[in-house]
Formats: sequence, C-alpha cells, structure tokens
Amino acid sequence: MSEKKDITILAIESSCDETAAAVVRNGRHVMSDIISSQVPVHVKYGGVVPEIASRKHIEAITGCVDGALKEAGVTLKDLDGVAVTYGPGLVGALLVGVGFAKSLAFAADLPLVGVHHIDGHISANYIEDETLKPPFVCLVASGGHSNLVYVRDYGVYDILGQTRDDAAGEAFDKVSRALGLGYPGGPAVDRAAREGDPDAYEFPRAKIPDASYDFSFSGLKSAVLNLINHAKMSGEELRVANIAASFEKAVVDVLVEHTVRAADETGAKIVSIAGGVAANTRLRECMGKACSERGLKYVHPSLRLCTDNAAMIGAAGYYRFIAGARSGLDLNAEPNLPLGDRERRFHGNMGKTREGAQ
Amino acid sequence: MRVLGIDSSGLVAAAALVDDGRLTADYRIDHKKTHSQTLLPMISEIMRMSECDPGSLDLIAVAAGPGSFTGLRIGASTAKGLAYDGDIPIVPVSTLEALAWQLCDNEGIVCPVMDARRGQAYTALYRMQPVWKSTDGADSVMIEELSPRAADMGDVIERINALGERTIFIGDGIPVFAQLIAGKTEVPYRCAPPWRNRQSAAALAYLGERKYMKGVSETADTFAPVYLRASQAEREAGEAGNVTYRRMTAKDAAPAAALERDTLGREAWSEAQLKEAADRSDSMYIMAESGGRHVAHAGIRDVCGIGELGNVCVHPDFRRRGIGRELVSRLINPGEGLCEGDVTLEVRYKNEAAFMLYRKCGFEEEGVRPGFYADPSDDARIMWLRRHRDA
Repeated sequence: MSEKKDITILAIESSCDETAAAVVRNGRHVMSDIISSQVPVHVKYGGVVPEIASRKHIEAITGCVDGALKEAGVTLKDLDGVAVTYGPGLVGALLVGVGFAKSLAFAADLPLVGVHHIDGHISANYIEDETLKPPFVCLVASGGHSNLVYVRDYGVYDILGQTRDDAAGEAFDKVSRALGLGYPGGPAVDRAAREGDPDAYEFPRAKIPDASYDFSFSGLKSAVLNLINHAKMSGEELRVANIAASFEKAVVDVLVEHTVRAADETGAKIVSIAGGVAANTRLRECMGKACSERGLKYVHPSLRLCTDNAAMIGAAGYYRFIAGARSGLDLNAEPNLPLGDRERRFHGNMGKTREGAQ
Repeated sequence: MRVLGIDSSGLVAAAALVDDGRLTADYRIDHKKTHSQTLLPMISEIMRMSECDPGSLDLIAVAAGPGSFTGLRIGASTAKGLAYDGDIPIVPVSTLEALAWQLCDNEGIVCPVMDARRGQAYTALYRMQPVWKSTDGADSVMIEELSPRAADMGDVIERINALGERTIFIGDGIPVFAQLIAGKTEVPYRCAPPWRNRQSAAALAYLGERKYMKGVSETADTFAPVYLRASQAEREAGEAGNVTYRRMTAKDAAPAAALERDTLGREAWSEAQLKEAADRSDSMYIMAESGGRHVAHAGIRDVCGIGELGNVCVHPDFRRRGIGRELVSRLINPGEGLCEGDVTLEVRYKNEAAFMLYRKCGFEEEGVRPGFYADPSDDARIMWLRRHRDA
C-alpha cells in the first residue's frame, strides 16, 4: 500500500472583523496563519460595523492570502484544496472571503470546500492537541455564538444546548460598555475582573426548563445594568472590578456546570472549549479544575486559536475535504447557517445522543 | 489581448470576453438570484464555451463603482481571486462611464442613472462625441461634464437643462426617477432601449482595455471599489459633530477644486486658481474636515479694506449642520478673520439656503445684478455686512 499523501489546504476566513488566511497540512499542522485584525477600526464605534468590516476585508484579502502562501513556502500548485468560511456571520463580510476563494479555486482548478465557522472553532482543538479524536464535548462561546456540542465524529455535531438570547461574548461586550471598559469587552472584563472580588455581588444564573443545556445571558446582563443604573441614581460608588469579577463568575459558573454535566450524561471522556470566550482566564481555569476533579481530559486552544483565525478553518476544511465534501462555484454566504442538520433537532433528547455515541 | 469584463454593481450580473478586439462572449442576467450565486458560474460558462483558460486572460476589467456596496465587493473579490494566480492586471472602470459607453455612437449628453436609495441617484453627465468617417464602431470621445456622485436627481436635471442639449438617460435607476425626469427635463431627451439600458460587461471590457492602454492598471492586492459614499456609521459619526476647521493651504487645492467642481458648477475655480488664492497674503481660506476628508471651505479677500467673501461650498452630505455658518463666521470675525472692514458677497438669487445663511451671519441684501450667472442663468443678490452702520 502506498504511503498516504499529505493534504494541504489554503483556508480563508472573513466572517466578522478579522481577515485571515492560513495553510494547514492534514488538518493538524499549521504551516502559516495570517490575521489582519480590524479591531482598532471598530473600537471608536463600540462594536463591529458591518459595512466598514466588509470594506476592510476587500482591501486586506489578497495580502492575507499572499502572506499565508509565502509564509508556508507553497504555491497554489502545491495545494489540494481551498476552504472558506461561508457562514454564519456578517453576510457582506462573508461574501468577500467566499467570492475570493471561489474565483481563486476556479482559476487554479482546485476543489473548494465551504466551512461552517463554528466547525472551525471546534476544530481549533485538533490543531492544539494532535492526538484529539472524537467523540468529545465542546463548549463554543464567542461574540456571536454559544453552543454546547457533542462531537460525534469529525464535523458531525449534536447540539446539546444553545443560547436563548445573547451569546456569552455579547454579554461581555455589553457589560464592558456599561462599565466603561470599552470594546472588545472580553479582554477588558477579563483584565478588570482580576482585581475584583467575584463574590461581591450575587447575579442570577438562568435555568431553562425542558432544555437544561441551553443558555440565557440577557437576564444576567440586565441585572448588571440595573445595578449600575441604580448606583448612578443613588450616587453610590461602585467598584468596577467587583462587578466585572462577579459578572464573569456568573457566566463561567453556568458555562462550566453545563459542560461537565454534558460530559457526565453523554459519557464523553474529553472536554474542550472553543471561541473567543475560551480565551477568558477564569473560564480556562475553572473548566480545567472541574475536568480534573472528574478525571476528564481537558483540551483548550491557545489564545491565538480561540479568536477568529483561518487555521481553524483549514483544520475543519481538511476533515470536510477527506469526507468528500465539495462546494460549487455558486456557493453563497449564509449568515444564519445552522451547524449541520442537527442544530435544531436536539432539545433534551439525550437518550438518542447516547445511543448514537456508542 | 484577452479581456474579461465583470459588472455586478447593480441588479444585473454581467460577464464578457473580448479577444483581440472581438467580442467573443457576452452574458448578462437580470434576475433575483444574488450575484454571489450567478457571477462566477457565468464567468465559468463563457470561458468554457469560448474554450478559454482563466490563466490565458491578459486583463480583467471590473466595475469599480458606484453601485450596490455588496454587489461591488462580489465583483471585486471575484476579480481579485481570478487575477491573483497569474498576476493578471485589474483595470477598474467607473460603473457610470461603462453604462454611458454603450451609447458611444450617440452625439449629445448621456446621463447614467442608478438608484442610490435615500432618494438619490448615482449619476454623472458625459458628452459623447462620436468620430465620423470611421470604420471603428467604438471610435468616440467621451467628456465628463459632471463627475460621478450620489446626488438628488432634480439637481442633475437642472444641470442638464443648463447644458441645453439633447440627452439620453440610461440605467436601472430610470424607473425610480421616471416621474422626475419626465416632469423636469426641459431639453429633448429619451431613454436607452431595453437591450442596452443596463450594465454591459462588454462595453466595460472595451473601455477597460482603452484605459489599460493609457496606463490605468491595478493588481489583485491594490484594487478596491469606489463607493462614493461613506458607510452609515461613518456618516453618523460625522453628523455627531466630528468636523474640524483649519486654515486652507496650497496643499489642499486639489480636494478643494474637486469640491468646487461638484458643488459650484460653472463658478468653480480650478486647482491652480485655488492654489494661488490660498497662498496670497490678501486672502484667507478656512476649510472643514471630517475623517480626513475635505468637506467644506470658504474664503475672503481684502480688496482695499473691503472684504469679498466667496468660494463658499459644503459637500452635500455635510449640509444643514452649521458648517457653512461656522466658516463664514470665522472669516468675518474681526479677531480671527482677515478683514476688519465691511464685507460683501454675491449669491445666486434662487439659492435661498445660502441667502438665509448670509442673513444669519449679519449680511443684508443691497442690490441685484441681473443675469450675472449662467448655467443656469440667474440674477445675483449683492449682500453687505456693514460693521459701522450705527457708528
């Protein structure tokens, strides 16, 4: 039997405010990873402005792809395929990556693979830990998404829980703004919380009947905003660090509790985290502690792989590629792309998942 | 030379191939599907049918704008992806020029009209001068009479009336502004026939090749669309008072001249005139900037102790925010301005908004100069600011 050929994928990501390109070999080995961040551009608007993001993407895309190929030391002829994020995300932003990837693949006669952005986030763990194999439970938490996922196989997901309202990262952004800590909120709250007492305030942790893995952060967010408003009205002095730390603890408690419970109930031996919120110091620590208490293996991406990047799209794209997935030249951006067909099926349907997991 | 033309700036998706001056493929779809789904399959199809490999392209001409922001970016990202591997030059072609170029055999004025939403049109005016006794069907000269802009169609029709020549309208904005066109246009006009009143990638490819021969060339990296409009967030940030004022210098003459061309029409000064004026010791110009963009300016000149105020222009996106008043106030302020004596100015009789602005700054109407302005013809109000009236 001949030696297995390496598969080299060029990956492109432009779903939000980072233009990124990477070259990834066999889904695990990152040969290059270029990110052109627009965060400084959006800071003055206190959030991502879709039209500005799209304009920046079109200016940056060629340079990113060129940089990724050069840094990896490959040309288009050395590639086996092109992977691109086609959803979910900002439609105008996604279209830049999709348009470029499609015509590049067409011109270079390469297969094209559309990748789900969350599939990418979860797959960042394959880069982080080269031995990681499904099944495992993964918590995906970012500015736009909060999903608790049972990874049945590569690219095959059962959604155990999802947010009913705000994504976890969105709550961080809003609370950060209310506390005057600025944008992006994740790192700002993280920094402030380190100086604060996480038990200074008791904020609510939402429980959702009949869907115990779902999240809801809007009540928590409102409680924080009410506290701040109330203090302003009564002239009471508030310690920003204490609010940040207490808010952070409330979010992390819920995320960790849901995740380890999912591991218990699915019988998964491995727990991982993904997405921008996975960069949060407290979440990384508490999840690690909870896992070690239960004897679960814990995988978490390095900070660079938590936030949006193209290497993770290359990892996910590789597994889609070897599974035979191919996208046509009519591939469109899908801002509300569900995570596989299974996204809406699962709500408290654990028995089916366990059965399938065997 | 093998040229691929791409236009996805409006409702139409269009792709065409021109091979050594021969139009080998021309594919245009005006249907609901998004350009993201249609454009590349169309390009793929015309390349397959004309047995042409993407690597064999010498040039990609792409509609640079104005138009739908997303549509422009679909065209741009497609062009960039195609151009990257073979380092194929990209030639940006104004959407409006390419629209007009379809009528290059019509003597007179051509007015491309695209719906820019918010009651405005993306439009421009071109004077077409076909060369006669020529066997080349595209042998024609196109002169820009009004630069591409997002504008109120009524203002553009006034300019058309002032030019006084027969005019052809073209583009998918015509149905939107049909009533206005029919009601206000005073010159003989008509609209382009249905089979050439939308974006044509063929016309764009021919125009792109001409531009390339004149040295216009971008790369997959450098090319970016021309939107003609800031994003809503930037506009709102600008509206929040993010405007700064400073003395205008000779270095600002180029954007100042562009603004005058766009707002003052025939009364606009040239770049050379503005450069000279900004440097003169008897003159003073103040300008307003927003986000690094030159959005307004005005000047005053001291003529034997009497101030002559002029060149007052504010970009249409920045009007009704007190910028004009701020500029005039600074110029006539005895402490800050140049001139301590009385100040005079002339203003178009029909320009009520300007008249009110000057009244608020203390100017009074003291006379009229009949027929002072041309294109369109108008009288001038003579206004004075008398500082020592009561003294």
